[in-house]
Amino acid sequence: MTTQTITDIAARMDNGVKTYGEGDAAVHALNGATAEFGRGRFTAIMGPSGSGKSTMLHCLAGLDTLTSGAAYIGDVDLATLKDKDLTLLRRERVGFIFQSFNLIPTLDAQENIVLPLTIAGEKPDTDWYSQIIEILGLSDRLDHLPAELSGGQQQRVAAARALVSRPAIIFADEPSGNLDSKSGAELLAFMRRAVKEFEQTIVMVTHDPNTAAYADRVIFLEDGVFVDEMHDPTPDAILDRLKRLGA
Amino acid sequence: MIRTAFKSVFAHKVRLLLTGVAIVLGVSLVAGTFIFTDTINAQFDSLLGDIYEGTDVSVRSAGGDFSAATEPFPASVYDDVVAVDGVMAADGGVSSISAQVLDSDGNPIGGQGPPTLGFSWGDTPTLNPMQIKDGNGRPPAGPGEVTIDINSARNADLELGDMVTVVAFNGPEDFLLVGLTSFGDADSLLGATLISFELEEARNVFGYGDELTGIVVQAEAGVDAADLTAAISQVLPEGVEAVTGETEQNEQAAEISEGLSFLSIGLLAFAGVSIFVGGFIIQNTFRIIIAQRTRELALLRALGATGRQVRSMVIIEALIVGVVGSVVGIAFGFLLALGIRALMNAVGLGLTQSGMVLLPRTVVIGMAVGVILTVASSLLPARKASRIPPIAALREDASRTPRRSLRTRAIVGAAVTGTGVALLVIGLFLSVSNPLLYVALGAAIGFIGVSILAPLAARPLADIIGWPMPKLFGVSGQLAKENTKRQPRRTASTASALMVGVALVVFFSVFASSTKASVSETVFELFPADITFQSTNQTDPEVPAVISPGFAEDLATHEELEVVSAMQFGKALVGEDEKLIGAIDPATIDQVFALGASDGAVAALIEPDTVIVSTSYLDDNGHDVGDTLTIEYLTTGAVTTTIVGVFEANDFSDFYISTNTYVANFRYEGDAVIFANAAEGVSVDEAQEAVAPTVASYGNVKSQSKSDIVTEAETQIDQALLLFTGLLLFAVIIAILGITNTLTLSVYERTQEIGLLRAVGMTRRQVRRMVRWEAVIVATFGALLGVGIGIVLGWAVVRALSDEGLGAFSIPVSQVILALILAAVAGVFAAIWPARKAARMNILDAISFE
Ligand SMILES: Nc1ncnc2c1ncn2[C@@H]1O[C@H](COP(=O)(O)OP(=O)(O)OP(=O)(O)O)[C@@H](O)[C@H]1O
Ligand SMILES: [Mg+2]
Repeated sequence: MTTQTITDIAARMDNGVKTYGEGDAAVHALNGATAEFGRGRFTAIMGPSGSGKSTMLHCLAGLDTLTSGAAYIGDVDLATLKDKDLTLLRRERVGFIFQSFNLIPTLDAQENIVLPLTIAGEKPDTDWYSQIIEILGLSDRLDHLPAELSGGQQQRVAAARALVSRPAIIFADEPSGNLDSKSGAELLAFMRRAVKEFEQTIVMVTHDPNTAAYADRVIFLEDGVFVDEMHDPTPDAILDRLKRLGA
Repeated sequence: MIRTAFKSVFAHKVRLLLTGVAIVLGVSLVAGTFIFTDTINAQFDSLLGDIYEGTDVSVRSAGGDFSAATEPFPASVYDDVVAVDGVMAADGGVSSISAQVLDSDGNPIGGQGPPTLGFSWGDTPTLNPMQIKDGNGRPPAGPGEVTIDINSARNADLELGDMVTVVAFNGPEDFLLVGLTSFGDADSLLGATLISFELEEARNVFGYGDELTGIVVQAEAGVDAADLTAAISQVLPEGVEAVTGETEQNEQAAEISEGLSFLSIGLLAFAGVSIFVGGFIIQNTFRIIIAQRTRELALLRALGATGRQVRSMVIIEALIVGVVGSVVGIAFGFLLALGIRALMNAVGLGLTQSGMVLLPRTVVIGMAVGVILTVASSLLPARKASRIPPIAALREDASRTPRRSLRTRAIVGAAVTGTGVALLVIGLFLSVSNPLLYVALGAAIGFIGVSILAPLAARPLADIIGWPMPKLFGVSGQLAKENTKRQPRRTASTASALMVGVALVVFFSVFASSTKASVSETVFELFPADITFQSTNQTDPEVPAVISPGFAEDLATHEELEVVSAMQFGKALVGEDEKLIGAIDPATIDQVFALGASDGAVAALIEPDTVIVSTSYLDDNGHDVGDTLTIEYLTTGAVTTTIVGVFEANDFSDFYISTNTYVANFRYEGDAVIFANAAEGVSVDEAQEAVAPTVASYGNVKSQSKSDIVTEAETQIDQALLLFTGLLLFAVIIAILGITNTLTLSVYERTQEIGLLRAVGMTRRQVRRMVRWEAVIVATFGALLGVGIGIVLGWAVVRALSDEGLGAFSIPVSQVILALILAAVAGVFAAIWPARKAARMNILDAISFE
């Protein structure tokens, strides 16, 4: 494991256990998972279906609570926060990109992008906002409703929304899972650029080695535990590792 | 399919629960009305059975009208009746409906409630419905003695040996209470105050001569009542008739059930409104549920179900919900009937607490109403469901069946609305045989038409109503507004349900407010008199109750009063029709009452057997001044009467005769209205104060200045308005439940969206706010439509009635604003449950919801 000082850690999970159900029917989605996510880094989480990737992401993002163990954003232990404070923490320090259904259908693209700020009653930083719009190529689509945008455009709007409040960390669960390879590549390139140029921290769950290869680092889960990691991955290396994991 | 339908009902039980509530409320109103009136009817029947138990024949004045019960005939008739073969026993007596008993504080017993009935005591126990049980004293035996029913005595704190003041023909007199009467097991005859005197004393107190008003006869064993009736008829003079006890009992029973049927028709009309509103809600719910189940239904289609099967499934679902809702509704109807009875007893109707009567008819109608309402409301949604193509199971967008274009909607809506308006106009302004039916049908069709048009207005109106919300409540307000615009059809039909209730409330308010405005105009124009005296004991809505004859004389002794002018009323046949005839004092009437009579008409009334008639009656019947009318009085028979003039129509009567002509032809029991003016230099207040002791001594007289009359009328109008509003509350509650229902379904539909909002930082409070303001917009939208329709409807009705003295049209602005505010507040309440549901939603479930 890398040795980083605590201030370089954007989020971490300590011996996280998440159990669904009770007794014989109990499922351990996370079974003592430990992982750290470095600040300004692009980390991908991989693993077989059912290995607990989404669960880990949800627990780190404060959308779900661990059965035992601890999850931190920065140095805040999420278990100590009440619902209200968790909501505020998400609003101020966390961004999200989901696989689908990322946008509010009644709001246009621009309103969707600034939604977290509007909810908080804040004004966007205009320079930063224009810069994001510019890079994502959304300038001429701002007054469109989600239904009027293509899937790729919708995901880019979601990415813009995740970035606009300059959150400490962005969580993405298979953000390109529903996109064709070209749109997917555009989105991932942008996410990578956000990390490189603006030192944005991103944690992304994916199935696809090609997608994971955009990240700086990949961690592998199996049966709810951390099993391995890889720095500066390539698609082939990942595929290789996955095959060994499956075996 | 039936099994699938059952499963589906259970799977959607929460959503269907609120639909069920709409059915339950509607059905309970219908069932409650029937149960209540049936119960009362049964009570009256058994009571009448007790009263007429021993009576085989009844001899009475041949008026054919209920009031004939107090019309006297010579006492000698009694001897002729007793002499008839087959008569075992007969009791002759007098009765009166103009007596009043005062309690120890000088207030009339019974107040505005059930009437006071006076009798002479019948000596034959089998013929007398009243009994005096051991320990309750004895029958009245001579002058100065009275009995009273146990219930009234108890209410007025009277005991045997007390002195009781009775106000009747001779004004207030004191009597010794010697007996307390009961009826079989009952202490009271439905709350009426019943007093009795010894026969001679009764004649004296009620103002009869050597007369009787009725003879009850018991036949010897083995003698047939009908035969005896025929035999007795042979010996009766003209104007007196004999009927069997059974006939009289049936007549009275018929009269009572006719009175009750007014009540039940009134209540059923309001039940109809609730059911109508319920229809909107049920249809809306089914439509939404089907929209949400598009995938599931499409899958059924893909697996081989026919469109017909899908349609039957939806209809069977409706049937199940309808049956369950109706059964519960009938049960609630029971409770409602108990409630109405408690309410009626609270105003002193003395209904016994016997069992409630549930006739099979009630169950059949209740079930039919609930089931037909539900199934009929599900037909359109079911048709829509049957048209879902199998491909919709696979593709989201395929589920959207092409919508009717806005143009079509506008045309259809305008046509339906137009039909409703046309029916309204026919009912209001043309003379048709059943105007109320046209008005009701027109209003109902008009409401449906507007509800078809409403989706066109939903977006712009939501924009206007919701305009301040984004500014006031930020993103919650903005999303609330956008959400109402999302499915204008859903918003509109939810709002339409509230529209109906609000429209009717506003309509009644406009009507009441216009009536009030007209009342003060009418009173100040019609009654120049400073003070008006009337009896407080108004029990017959058609003929005003009378004040003892001595009162006007007593008033005249006060020098603070200048003119004292009395008016009497009575019914008589004019041509074929029974009419109310007024009597005035030609010498003084002009100073106290604005008849608007033609020149010299009033003066000409001094001649006996002359009449003045309203211009409208004159015109409608092709008479002229100088012609004669045949008026048939109960006492004196047909009298040829000369028309000596005309007057402007007023609300009271189309005919006025002089008091002298009245006394000659009617049995004069007292005055209906007495007008008086304050003397020179005496203020109205001073004059009222001066006569107050006289007024108080009669107990049942009220003295009112012009503004007192206006205030009283306004109070009565307000009470009626309150009653109507109360009855419409059911419809409003159903409509509000409709908002709750739609919102709950919408929240469910937007699960993912709400989850996303929560994920990106919306607090639970903000989510609640969003749902709440959506409800407020929908409610306000419905209320606005309702206010608009209510005002237009009120205007039309006021215009249509302008001939009947409704001159002024007035919009009660503050009440209308209050209605809007209350509707918005109702929206807040409607949103409590769905808002909480939305706020409690688990974010993870929400974002992984498929
Ligand atoms: N709400 C739940 N109740 C019960 N079990 C659950 C629940 N959510 C997840 N699980 C179980 O927890 C385990 C991990 O689920 P998770 O969604 O984290 O897997 P994943 O790695 O994201 O899989 P995939 O690649 O298929 O998305 C699985 O076995 C799943 O069945
Ligand atoms: Mg997953």
